[in-house]
Amino acid sequence: MRFKSLLALILAGAVIGGTTALAPAQGPKVVKIGDLGSKVGVFEGYGKYQSMAIQLAVEELNARGGVLGHTIEVIVEDDDTKPAPSVRKAEKLILQDDVKLLVGAVSSGATMAVMDVTKKHKVIHWNAVSCAEFMRTTKFHKYYFSNQPDSRMQANGLAKYILDKMGKRVYIFYTDYAMGQSDGRQFKTAIEKLGGEVVGVAGAPLDTKDFSPWFGDINAKNPEVVFLAFAGTDSLRLMTQLHSFGMTKKYRLAGIDCFLLQQDLPAIAEPMEGFVQLAHFSAYNPDKNMQAFNARFKKRFGVDANIMAGAYDGLMFWATAVEKAKSFDPDKVAGAMEGMCLDGTHVGRQCIRKEDHQVVMDMHLYQVRGGKNIPIAVVAGSDTIGEPMVGRDPVEGFTWEIKKKN
Amino acid sequence: MSSARSWPALVVLAALAALPLTPFMTKYYMLLGFDALLFGAVAMSLDLLMGYTGLVSFGHAAFFGLGAYATAVLLERGVLSLWLGLGFAVLVVGLYALIVAYFATTRRGIYFALLTLVFAEVVYTFFRYTQTFGGSDGIQGLPAPYLWPGLAIDTPARNYYLILAYLALAYAACRVLVGSHFGRVLVAIRENEDRARFLGYNVQRYKMGVCVISALLTGLGGALYPGRAAYATPDLMLWTVSGELIIMVMIGGLGTLVGPVIGGAFFIILQEKVSSYVDWYFIVIGLVLIAIVLFMPRGLFGLRRLLTLRPWRATA
Amino acid sequence: MEYLTAVLLPQLLHGLVFGAALGLLALGLTVIFGLLGVMNFAHGELYMLGAYAGIAVIGVTHSFWVALILAPLLVGALGALTEVATLRPLYRRQPLYGLILTFGLALVFREGARQVWGGDMRRILPPITGSTPLLGMTYPNYRLFLLAIASVLLVAIWLFFTKTRAGVVVRAAVQDAEMLDGLGVNVPRVFTLTFAGSAALAALAGLLLAPVFTVYPQMGVEMILLAFIVVILGGMGSLGGSVVAAFVIGIAQSLLTLWMNPQRVAIAIFGIMILVLIIRPRGFFGREGVLE
Repeated sequence: MRFKSLLALILAGAVIGGTTALAPAQGPKVVKIGDLGSKVGVFEGYGKYQSMAIQLAVEELNARGGVLGHTIEVIVEDDDTKPAPSVRKAEKLILQDDVKLLVGAVSSGATMAVMDVTKKHKVIHWNAVSCAEFMRTTKFHKYYFSNQPDSRMQANGLAKYILDKMGKRVYIFYTDYAMGQSDGRQFKTAIEKLGGEVVGVAGAPLDTKDFSPWFGDINAKNPEVVFLAFAGTDSLRLMTQLHSFGMTKKYRLAGIDCFLLQQDLPAIAEPMEGFVQLAHFSAYNPDKNMQAFNARFKKRFGVDANIMAGAYDGLMFWATAVEKAKSFDPDKVAGAMEGMCLDGTHVGRQCIRKEDHQVVMDMHLYQVRGGKNIPIAVVAGSDTIGEPMVGRDPVEGFTWEIKKKN
Repeated sequence: MSSARSWPALVVLAALAALPLTPFMTKYYMLLGFDALLFGAVAMSLDLLMGYTGLVSFGHAAFFGLGAYATAVLLERGVLSLWLGLGFAVLVVGLYALIVAYFATTRRGIYFALLTLVFAEVVYTFFRYTQTFGGSDGIQGLPAPYLWPGLAIDTPARNYYLILAYLALAYAACRVLVGSHFGRVLVAIRENEDRARFLGYNVQRYKMGVCVISALLTGLGGALYPGRAAYATPDLMLWTVSGELIIMVMIGGLGTLVGPVIGGAFFIILQEKVSSYVDWYFIVIGLVLIAIVLFMPRGLFGLRRLLTLRPWRATA
Repeated sequence: MEYLTAVLLPQLLHGLVFGAALGLLALGLTVIFGLLGVMNFAHGELYMLGAYAGIAVIGVTHSFWVALILAPLLVGALGALTEVATLRPLYRRQPLYGLILTFGLALVFREGARQVWGGDMRRILPPITGSTPLLGMTYPNYRLFLLAIASVLLVAIWLFFTKTRAGVVVRAAVQDAEMLDGLGVNVPRVFTLTFAGSAALAALAGLLLAPVFTVYPQMGVEMILLAFIVVILGGMGSLGGSVVAAFVIGIAQSLLTLWMNPQRVAIAIFGIMILVLIIRPRGFFGREGVLE
């Protein structure tokens, strides 16, 4: 009796699982792609906009007749911002849903873990937001592509502007996990290479409630510029607290592209006034390509696009490569994507560099004024991307030690 | 374990072993099955503490995570033998468990729970911030281990059978343990600790013993994880993971061994399936937990009749 | 000397502010622990709900001060409801069931808040702006206000427990509920009201801290762990102990960041705690063998 019920339970489970596994796809001509992003938690804003950008691309592609005669269907999964669930969801998307393209994840740690999955199962992987420097170097694999400027590109782009226009004495304050460490390292290297002086560095743990204990050291080191590598809720809290201590007026502040999304700025306009942020896209950039894209985005979703629009390009590059290769075969598609140039991405014409599959994107510098990202300068992508370092450690010999300048 | 009582378990085991032969066990379901059985086994080893001894550990995720890091560190350095990995995990988890058990078992009830929690947080913080072990990203991109040179555990099916073997062995070990004199003393401690002490048993030593055994079983489960996932990250040891393990035991039923296995599998599958459709699955899980505590303190599956021991009874 | 005034004293002030905030949160936790023997895992979520209730009230009335009164009342009512519906049936059971139940409640509250208010961060503007030059730095007035109001509240709570009849009844219930029952006191009502009070206190802390720490559904998760440490350090169920421990943790954390990496600070805090538990298992002021 009792063991029969147990057996029945297991069988019932298997049947429930089996029916979903065997559910036939409707129509023969559907190709699926996976959207893996944060739907809950610190980075959920990034995940939300990633889904919108993918949605827009899919609708445009399907209106044109899909890709290779297949209608594109998006499967959305939550990466939970952490590596473990991301991997499980990536496996589900690949093994269960048989997606031909995977876009994601949001947090650098999760994206790197997912890279192992896409490498193992040979699936085209597009990263549109994570910026740790290892993804196009030590972790790089054949099926991985990205148009998110990584830490190295961002540091190169920002460091020169800071030294030219903002000040020579720089303090680096970063969030102490993959993304912040990566940005801090690359930025310190870039500043020192260009002859600036890093007067202090400090890291605060992810999700720090009170940053004020770190402010004493910043004040003591008396920098001209404070570089901030934070994201999500941390950025918001940090700016609120810096502002209440009068430090937003005392120092010039600069930060990475994912510091705050455009949508977050109006709520914190006053503390952010004058903040210099680097990003490849802004709805307030008069660039005609960006404006054209933003108009389409706004028409569809009723809100401005932001840096997450990079996910749109992922689909466009992939679809073009599939058409070119006349196949969904990952090796052929990856081959077609290498070195490919494409018109009509969210920032106009873009090219994927052959060596490390990085889109050579121009870097725009913006200053926050009245809660808006106003463009102030452009740095050519070719000047920031640096040499390809596939398989090499991009931070070899790096130390956090402060070099004393005489 | 007499053969008369063990045959239902054997039949279930055979059914699970035959499952990959059916057409619905795709690679994806094989991996989901791995997670379900793994966490089922870990919940079962936690049941030794919670159900049989009456000690709630809020730090079991640390044992799991330490085991995972033990094999991950070896795999990263090219030591691919599964047996070396398991041996190293036993060493590391055993040492840590001895320390935790020594201090935690001096206290009872809620103090025990909180002490295990704090110790686990120390381990979590250590791994999260130590760059040698990859910091918050953990150790990633690990190669698959092998049983012996030439037989790598590199396919979902091999992983599935590996975890099934582990579950079977762990279950047998737990069964033997709770049926032994040692197991009966544990139950006596749960029912009335002072009386057990009065009867001349060294209560703390028994508690330490079961803590270490439970930790080792959990750690071994953890040690098998990097082979399937290719990484070990500090998130595996977060205190909320320990909380989820407790939920699994509660869902299945305290002090039943079989119940927590089902509870763990149920939890993993529920989370996987529900989270694909709705984003508020934590409300579902929270409500299930509340309902169980209030209305079914013996667990959702009410499998206590499978048990030879007396059912769990709360001592007010 | 200059080091003392320019570095140590400001850091000490940061620690005091954080410690006072932590004390408010830990106090409710320790009362509930003493009373019900339950380590309330949902306490962090009540703290979070306080901030969101504040946002809701401010949205209607446009006044932080009105919200400061109303939000704790709302959350206190929710606390009472929760206590009657879920915790009361567990009085006669093992406290461990309470532990697990509150873990479930925490999940429901946290996810519920996310569904209602969304997962993105919110800000509450500080009702007191400007800053005061102090110890060589400009110190925000709101933080000074925070330190003041937290101190006043802590003193008020102490007076409540020592000088009022209601406070004495609650303390008696913590000591021996059965005895109190024998004396004809409606013990379940005392429990419910105390739980409501503890929830209101958490909500008050959440709203007071919101202008500094910002508001989002997970805001309680890390705070609650610190509050646990405070309660254990102070001695479970000891009110004074919790307050002392809160200041010790707050100050230790901010002073240690002067000399250590943040990660080592986190480990050092846990280290202090394990050390205390080994040398003096019952915490600073805990009674021997309470609720074991």
